[in-house]
Amino acid sequence: MNLNLLSWIIFLPVIGIVIIALLPKPGQKTVKWIALSATLASFLVSIAVFLMFNRSEAAIGQMQFEEKLLWIPAINSYYHLGVDGLSLPLVILMTFLGVISVLVSWKVELRPKQFFIWVLMLESSILGVFCSLDLILFFLFWELELIPMFFLISIWGSGRKEYAAYKYLIYTLVGSAFMLAGILSVYFITHTFDITALRGIQIGTSFIPLTVLFFLLMVGFAIKLPVFPLHTWLPDAHTNAPTAASVILAGALLKMGGYGMIRLCVSMLPQVALQYAPVMCTLAVIGVIYGAAVTLRQTDLKRLIAYSSVSHMGYVLLGIFALNQVSLTGASLQMFSHGVITGLLFAMVGLVYDKTHTRDLNNLSGLARQMPIIVVVFSIAGLASLGLPGTAGFVAEFITFAGSFTSVAVAGMKIFTLIAVIGIVVTSGYILWMLQRVFYGYPLDKYNGVKDADAVEMISTFAVVAVIMLVGIYPAILTNVIYMGIEPIAKLIGM
Amino acid sequence: MLEQYGYVGILLIIAVGFTITIPLLPKLLQLIGLIPHKKNPTKSGQYECGMQTIGKNWVQFNFRYYFFAVLFVLLDMLTIFLYTWAVNIKELGIGGLVAVGVFLVILTIGYLYAWRKGALQWK
Amino acid sequence: MMDQIRYIAPEISLLCFALIVIVLDLFIKPKKVLPVIAVAGSFVALLAVLMLWGVPVTDVFNKMLAVDQFGLFFKALILVSLVLVILASNRYVLKFEKFQGEFYALLMLSAIGLMLLVSAINLITIYVALELSSISLYVLVSFLKDKQSSEAGLKYLILGAVASAILLYGMALIFGTTGNTCLTCIADYVKGMPAASLAGSPVLLIGLVLLISGFGFKIASVPFQMWVPDVYEGAPTPITAYLSVASKAAGFAVIARILLTAFGMPAWLHNDWAMIIAVLAVLTMTVGNIVALVQTNIKRLFGYSSIAQAGYLMVGLAAMGMAAQADSTIRSGLIFFLFSYTLTNLGAFIAIIAISNKINSDNIDDYSGMAKRSPLLATGLTICLVSLTGLPPTAGLIAKIYIFSGAVDQGLLWLVIIAVINSCISAFYYFKVVKVMWMGEPVNNDEVTSTWPEWLALGFCCLAVVVIGIIPGAFMAITQNAAKIFGI
Repeated sequence: MNLNLLSWIIFLPVIGIVIIALLPKPGQKTVKWIALSATLASFLVSIAVFLMFNRSEAAIGQMQFEEKLLWIPAINSYYHLGVDGLSLPLVILMTFLGVISVLVSWKVELRPKQFFIWVLMLESSILGVFCSLDLILFFLFWELELIPMFFLISIWGSGRKEYAAYKYLIYTLVGSAFMLAGILSVYFITHTFDITALRGIQIGTSFIPLTVLFFLLMVGFAIKLPVFPLHTWLPDAHTNAPTAASVILAGALLKMGGYGMIRLCVSMLPQVALQYAPVMCTLAVIGVIYGAAVTLRQTDLKRLIAYSSVSHMGYVLLGIFALNQVSLTGASLQMFSHGVITGLLFAMVGLVYDKTHTRDLNNLSGLARQMPIIVVVFSIAGLASLGLPGTAGFVAEFITFAGSFTSVAVAGMKIFTLIAVIGIVVTSGYILWMLQRVFYGYPLDKYNGVKDADAVEMISTFAVVAVIMLVGIYPAILTNVIYMGIEPIAKLIGM
Repeated sequence: MLEQYGYVGILLIIAVGFTITIPLLPKLLQLIGLIPHKKNPTKSGQYECGMQTIGKNWVQFNFRYYFFAVLFVLLDMLTIFLYTWAVNIKELGIGGLVAVGVFLVILTIGYLYAWRKGALQWK
Repeated sequence: MMDQIRYIAPEISLLCFALIVIVLDLFIKPKKVLPVIAVAGSFVALLAVLMLWGVPVTDVFNKMLAVDQFGLFFKALILVSLVLVILASNRYVLKFEKFQGEFYALLMLSAIGLMLLVSAINLITIYVALELSSISLYVLVSFLKDKQSSEAGLKYLILGAVASAILLYGMALIFGTTGNTCLTCIADYVKGMPAASLAGSPVLLIGLVLLISGFGFKIASVPFQMWVPDVYEGAPTPITAYLSVASKAAGFAVIARILLTAFGMPAWLHNDWAMIIAVLAVLTMTVGNIVALVQTNIKRLFGYSSIAQAGYLMVGLAAMGMAAQADSTIRSGLIFFLFSYTLTNLGAFIAIIAISNKINSDNIDDYSGMAKRSPLLATGLTICLVSLTGLPPTAGLIAKIYIFSGAVDQGLLWLVIIAVINSCISAFYYFKVVKVMWMGEPVNNDEVTSTWPEWLALGFCCLAVVVIGIIPGAFMAITQNAAKIFGI
């Protein structure tokens, strides 16, 4: 039985785009409902895939729900989709955040038709990246994501939106430029674009050193993740993007980088990865500490959370390049949990901004009295971000550190881990300090009239809180799946 | 094959040599005292004999002359092709006739164009 | 002899229609009928091309012209762009008042020249065809008769004449060395040459360099690109469009044919010229992209952009030269890129023509808020710009992947890295236009309207760009078919 479920997941939002585009003069409400139903449909299908996912031992390392169709015969490229334990959680994450991002932009009034077209396109392209098993298809979706993001930031953004949009565009393009060169080299060394065939492939001779190949691919992923020192686009893009774009950007888009690293760099060139793991771990630790330190100094709420992403993505990088099974599982889980937590944080900042029209910490104080519900949700998100037990953040960080601390693949992993753990301390510092500044302290009179979250906002934020709690309390729901994808990769490294 | 370009090279050398020698010749003759060099206005005029020029030499011609010049070139073309065809008329046979016919049609359209666009009128 | 006429049926039919246009223009008042005849003629010629599609590869008229898929493919491409340009200039021609008939006729004549050029396999036919197309274009460039247009025409004429002279000189030297003007005969001679490098035969080397220079002018590669910005800016916009696609495509077709047919073997020779082309490619795309960054006039911007695109195309040409064995993927990269570039650039120009008809300005700032004044035109232009940048889901990305994959295969990874970095730079100026259109405030709120032929042309281009971007397989097969003639 082949229902082409993955194609449905990817292209349901596209169907939404077509319907919205074809309606001559749709009302705002119509557009929003169409967008919501498209994302919701996609989410439901992805849940179905999650439930039907084969978790038996026999299926370890197997791609499931595969679809394969000859696409470009000239270069032997296929329309090849499939998910395994590594990509499935990220697919769920994206479809889920897709629904959330439509809900948080329920109040968009500037050119809603175009806005939702771009949001849906963004969702579809990111889903495509996670599902493709053909390098050309992967690259196509990877690049496709640029256009909607560029428009979302530059039209619906705030502040220096054009600067931010350009910076985003150029950074990503440079990264993908190197990636394209890398992908083409891979093809002419191995004569295949098939990602499943590339896992653990034995590369005999090659016309370029494998190290060069590794870094050609790595640059693109490192910019996306982002890895220090290639992270400077992120604070600008986040700060100036509209809420929905921030949610997707922080929640799912950054994960494309980590996903690519595991899927291509580590699976295809494990020996090179092993060789350069100390360099990557150093960058990861710098990223963690630097990101956290810079976060402490931010006064703009959005910028603060953006920098905290740099720090949190450092954990992912550390987990990946600790190169053992536990740390890789931790990194994958961290990608998921950071996705929901930071997505929620951005959504909450968006709410606060909508109500108070400021994001400056110095102008905010004592909002707890005026908006009690927002406070609770915001606090949960903040606590999850700093890794409070019982939330997804704790589980992910714990597994990552447990894995990297015990890793023997790389010399000196214990020291790297110990330094990185300091990051958590700083994180709790800035999160608590931010919560205290914004919500506690003296209430300001000028915010007396502001409203608390309405029904739509409550539904969307409560849903995310539920997911954070669910993963925090019962992490096996995801780790079981992740294990299926990570196990064969960990075997390749032999650790 | 390439050697035959040698003849072109010789021609080139002769041409360059000639152009350089001729302007230098009077100077050379002067140097060895073969020719006198006493200047007077008549001698240094543009034309040593005939009328003195009147007015500037940058006279603008009426551009309609060019139309006729171009049309005349067309006529020349016609003559050249027709002549060569006429000389070989037997060998070229029907094919040649058709080709010349096509050529004439195109040329006629050219004249037709010139006529309708008023190139033949002197207004 | 006479039985071979049918092989040039496309050219002859187009010529007949061009003559009909001229004669009709003399005798009838309503000029509306002229474009109809011109388009009809192009379609008849296109039909003739398609009917020749299956014929086995032959050469006709004593090895003067070739009949092969390569030539026919480019003939079809030229005819399609001719039709699109005619459709797009449907309102623009009103600016010419008295000379509408000449406009169409000259366009068709230059198309005939280009069609002969892409199928010519003899240096003499190549030169004659080149001149036929160029002379028509010299006139067309100065068609607006204002100061800028006349200047552009004169510049194009003078520099074009210089380029022709250089080309002719190169041909003379090649003829001198090899004793032949037909490309296959030259190839035979070259294969038998004892020398192991071009340095052993300086005359041939100079001839080859002059030849590349002469065609470098036609395809606007650095350092022969100086005419491009002024001519593109001054010329009537439909002619700019035509110059940037048809003329460039034919230039690349003929240069590829000469280099591969006549100088494709032995190995030392094709590696030598491939290296020259590779170095020129780096210069071309870098200069084109960097200078384009500071342009404020959209036609100048597209001028530099077309220089940069020529650079990418030359990457493909260099890869073709490097390819030791007849690999159809590598050899069709250039053709596929030209195909997608032609449709994309034409689409962009059609939108520009439609917009400039209303706003009478080529300043990028005046495009401000175009998304509000005419959402569909803005969307069309945006799709084409996205494709030129090389982003999905358009033909531009696939074409770039395809052409660069050939280069990587031939060990030109350094060249590909430079090229992809260049395409990042190009995003700056292409997205500058996008930004102005979608984010700027409209200068005024007049709606920018357009006519149905413009819609038809723009719609066709955009649809093609997206369709090729999503399902490129069939189109690649066609181009691979066209590249087959370069077997060894």
